[in-house]
Amino acid sequence: MNSLRPSSRPLLTCAAILVALLAADAASHALLAKPPFGAPAEPQVGGIVGWILAKQSEFYRQMSGAIRSAKEDGSAVWWLLAISFAYGIFHAAGPGHGKAVIASYLVANQETAKRGIVLSFASGLMQALVAVAIVGVGAVLLNATAASMCSAEKVVEIASYGLIALLGARLVWVKGAAFLRTWQPPAPALALAGAPAGAVQTGHDHGHAHDHQHRAPQHDHHGHDHHGHDRHGHDHHHGHGHAHTHAAAAHGHAAHDHVHHDHVHGDDCGCGHSHGPAPSELAGPGGWQRGFQAIFAAGIRPCSGAILVLVFALAQGMFWAGVAATIVMGMGTAITVATIAVLAVAAKDIARRLSAGRDGGGALIMRGLEFGAAGLVLLFGVGLLFGYMAAERTTCF
Amino acid sequence: MAVFRVVLAALTLVLGASAASAHPHVWVTATSELLYAADGTVTGVRHAWTFDDMFATYALQGLETKQKGVYTREELAPLAQTNAESLKEYAYFTFIKADGRKQKLVDPVDYYLEYKDTKLTLHFTLPLKAPVKSSQLQVEVYDPSYFIDFQMAEKDPVKLVSAPAGCKLGLVRPSDGGTVAQTMNEQTFLSGGANANFGMNFANKISVECP
Repeated sequence: MNSLRPSSRPLLTCAAILVALLAADAASHALLAKPPFGAPAEPQVGGIVGWILAKQSEFYRQMSGAIRSAKEDGSAVWWLLAISFAYGIFHAAGPGHGKAVIASYLVANQETAKRGIVLSFASGLMQALVAVAIVGVGAVLLNATAASMCSAEKVVEIASYGLIALLGARLVWVKGAAFLRTWQPPAPALALAGAPAGAVQTGHDHGHAHDHQHRAPQHDHHGHDHHGHDRHGHDHHHGHGHAHTHAAAAHGHAAHDHVHHDHVHGDDCGCGHSHGPAPSELAGPGGWQRGFQAIFAAGIRPCSGAILVLVFALAQGMFWAGVAATIVMGMGTAITVATIAVLAVAAKDIARRLSAGRDGGGALIMRGLEFGAAGLVLLFGVGLLFGYMAAERTTCF
Repeated sequence: MAVFRVVLAALTLVLGASAASAHPHVWVTATSELLYAADGTVTGVRHAWTFDDMFATYALQGLETKQKGVYTREELAPLAQTNAESLKEYAYFTFIKADGRKQKLVDPVDYYLEYKDTKLTLHFTLPLKAPVKSSQLQVEVYDPSYFIDFQMAEKDPVKLVSAPAGCKLGLVRPSDGGTVAQTMNEQTFLSGGANANFGMNFANKISVECP
């Protein structure tokens, strides 16, 4: 089984990335948790977090004053909008707001930076609109108390986390299959034979629909080759090594697997990459539909700050100003999220370019990276859902 | 390896940004009284927490009142009860150590909300589970997740009520500098990172030394 050696190295590489990833997480937490912000008002050198916190507190606390002044002087609304925008930008650096989810989603899928930006803004707008809807229906129409609005917020929150977890689970399923397909010799792939089919059933995934179409004709080809026991035939269909795998597994021709092994494996290492959906395919209409699942999951949970601002504006008889401020705030948030999204996509591009020159492992590293990112989305969802991960608290107090 | 470095950098960014952690949405200006019994033991803490106007408006949203803009203590009673009951979940935002040992608190008593001069203030008393005699008492007031920013009032932030003679009262505000920092590093790390007790950086530390 000399096929083990070339396959185990990229596996280790991917494992190393995931370990590094967790280490990076821990390290960043530890780093950011360290002292530098004794005084929130005047952060010391290197206290980026302290500075962000100070800034957003500053803007947030000015908002109530701005809404009050806007009541007397209409032009103060511009001031309110300016503060709200700035607040949104700084505020989004905190947890929630879908940053991590959207960035991981973009890395897991082969998304472009442009789409990352669009998704960020759509998610920001959605967050703002959900906040307006909760306060609009709750406080304006029903004159509900804070306690009942808070329950609405909690329901929405749980729904959001559940959706993130679902999105993550689907990505893990799909990306895990892609990763194993790239890495695995055919025999163990047997266990996974159902994976892409399942993904097709869950629908929405353009990339998989594509795989599926390819598989069908190859199936015949393959059956052919198989019955002929023709090794040469395999070589001939080199390019379709991946489809072979599944067909072989489905046919249960275990006896021939050995012959397969070397061929298919060599194949996958060389051009496994081409089996993944091309970026251009993902930008199609199906891709957009998929993207909206991500913004829905990440964007449905409103930001507590927006709810507070809206209720305050309502009490001042300036609900419309609160709505405007919330939307502008959402756009500010989107800028921060989009920046992180673009950086994530750019980093992945660089990783792809760097790994492209490496024989064999390149595609595998990329698939592993996508798989890891998919796993993160799932982790975020589950962690948030079960309270292992602190998100921004709702205003229930 | 270059690939690793890029991946690491990207993930540090993504995850690091989320570690930037909580940020306050509620501001509380607090005054606290430490209650002593005749035998010199500490029996509890009486807090008065005044909320910022935005949160106060939110909390009062939808409350029925006889007179618009006027909230009596009775009208606020159900809200005060909700507040008092939900405090438990957050360990009452009050962390007491007597001679280095953590002290347990029980549910608040004598709680009520007061609305005066457009300011909403929650009054409540937190009894210690067991009154304790202590030569070095430490009371910290903060929200570990830093959703609420606590600041002790400028004027008369802390009082001792019937404390034995010779007790010295001290207060370190979060703005006084990172005195908490040295002790918290290890703890922060062990408890799983920034989110867990990030708010400790913004703790108000009250200390009482009695002979």
